[in-house]
Amino acid sequence: MNREQLMSETLLSISLSAEYAKKSVLRNITFHIERGEILGLVGQSGCGKSTLALAILRLLHLKGGRAVGIIQLNGLDLMSLSERQMRSIRGKEIGLVLQSPLSSLNPVLRIGTQLVEAWDAHRSGSRQECRNALLESLANVSLPAEEEFLRRYPAQLSVGQAQRVLIAMGVLHRPTLLIADEPTSALDVITQAEVLGLFRNLSKQMGVAILYITHDLLSVSTIADRIAVMHKGEIVECREPQAIFTDPQHAYTRNLIAALPSVPGLLPTRERTYHIPVKSHAAGRS
Amino acid sequence: MARALALAFLLVIGSASLLANLLAPATYAEQFRELPNAPPSSRHWLGTDDLGRDRFSRLLYGTRVSLLLAPVAALSSTILAALIGGVAGYLGGRIETAAMWITDLFLSLPWLFLLVAVRALLPLNVSPQVSVIITFGMLGVLGWAGAARVVCATSRSARDSDFILLARASGVKPARLFARHIVPNLTPALFAQFWISIPVFILAEANLGVLGLGVAEPLPSWGSLLRELENYSAIGSQPWLFVPLLLLVAVVSCFQLVLPKAELPA
Repeated sequence: MNREQLMSETLLSISLSAEYAKKSVLRNITFHIERGEILGLVGQSGCGKSTLALAILRLLHLKGGRAVGIIQLNGLDLMSLSERQMRSIRGKEIGLVLQSPLSSLNPVLRIGTQLVEAWDAHRSGSRQECRNALLESLANVSLPAEEEFLRRYPAQLSVGQAQRVLIAMGVLHRPTLLIADEPTSALDVITQAEVLGLFRNLSKQMGVAILYITHDLLSVSTIADRIAVMHKGEIVECREPQAIFTDPQHAYTRNLIAALPSVPGLLPTRERTYHIPVKSHAAGRS
Repeated sequence: MARALALAFLLVIGSASLLANLLAPATYAEQFRELPNAPPSSRHWLGTDDLGRDRFSRLLYGTRVSLLLAPVAALSSTILAALIGGVAGYLGGRIETAAMWITDLFLSLPWLFLLVAVRALLPLNVSPQVSVIITFGMLGVLGWAGAARVVCATSRSARDSDFILLARASGVKPARLFARHIVPNLTPALFAQFWISIPVFILAEANLGVLGLGVAEPLPSWGSLLRELENYSAIGSQPWLFVPLLLLVAVVSCFQLVLPKAELPA
């Protein structure tokens, strides 16, 4: 099945409100993600992006929040599931990648142990089967597929490697949806480009849909099929990157575009807003 | 360097006490009735007590009792602390509040008085073996509160961390989450707690022993050996009575020295 066929079907559809201690954070957010689609969710810090990620996984209560509404994954209403049923969805149908790679890995456990734990949560095959799956998952994210690597501790990884491990963990069970919450904001620009390319490839290879949450409109435009702009707990605009840049509808979107950094004297501001950057080396990686 | 020396000293003392059967010239209960209160001699290195028992032998056996049982008591109190503090911190909410309330209560009790009271409630005329179990069991059961607090705080911060959030998002079951992801983060704190409890329990047993509430006669322990120092009139002329005290102080300070500073809970 190629990507276009995959994208003909709705995977996730959401209509959601959320609050922390009576303070409303998400106000009736409504959007959908097609199968295999990359949806970029852009907004500034504190607009409720991470809340949304946790709400989809129904983990918002851990941060003291509460969500009401509808979350449908493959026609299944996640809000109606028991905690036990929800656990079988987490990690298996929906993967998660968090913002800070080093704090997302348990500092006292080896990489291999943490991956095995994620594997064992949903599979009970032989040790050998598990090993093979882990090594394959490392190869998928361009990490050395070696036993030695699995024996390392998080402190022995670079930030970029740690983020790749987390991505490998996120797609270990080949979920249908991967939620990436600011996965590149802790990375330097070059690693950022590599990780972006990685997401694009994973989406192509596995057909996994990605909800890519970020504050970086420019970088997500290089991989997203559509971009949803979020402002003060609402989605104000949701269209293709091209349309967002050429014809921004909402005042906030126009502000976002105007705020993009520019190199003085290199590109006139007006032209730059019509330019959609596509990083060639990111596209070329396989 | 100091650490290595301290460790070597503890090992020497520990193995000497374990080999008490071989090294001691007499058993701890054997009486040399013709020689009560004898000064040190080639036959009785530390003299004999008022019942004519060889003091050096009693010191070896007493060291064994204290050095073997204090770690056991420390282990049981650490396990209790791990369960109470660890689970409370992991679950949070009302359970944590309740557990910490109980812990605070435990910490605000007058310790020595509590030990004396609990010991007094228990039968006083028991066999020496049972008295050992009672004494150290009591220390183990009563000593968890301080450690539980530290463990609870560590457990809570692990629970709120990103890596636990991610493990939850990977579908890991709660019990497994605790055992496999939280407990490894508690081990440094638990180990430090275990190690600092040992000298505390050695001292607590000695204190109880001085009050006559520790290990029962004829079985020696550091506590019962120190009781001889109650004889104020004698200690001036019999300085060798201080040997058990010196050994106790040396061993306790060595335990403090061996613990790496980095593993002390903040």
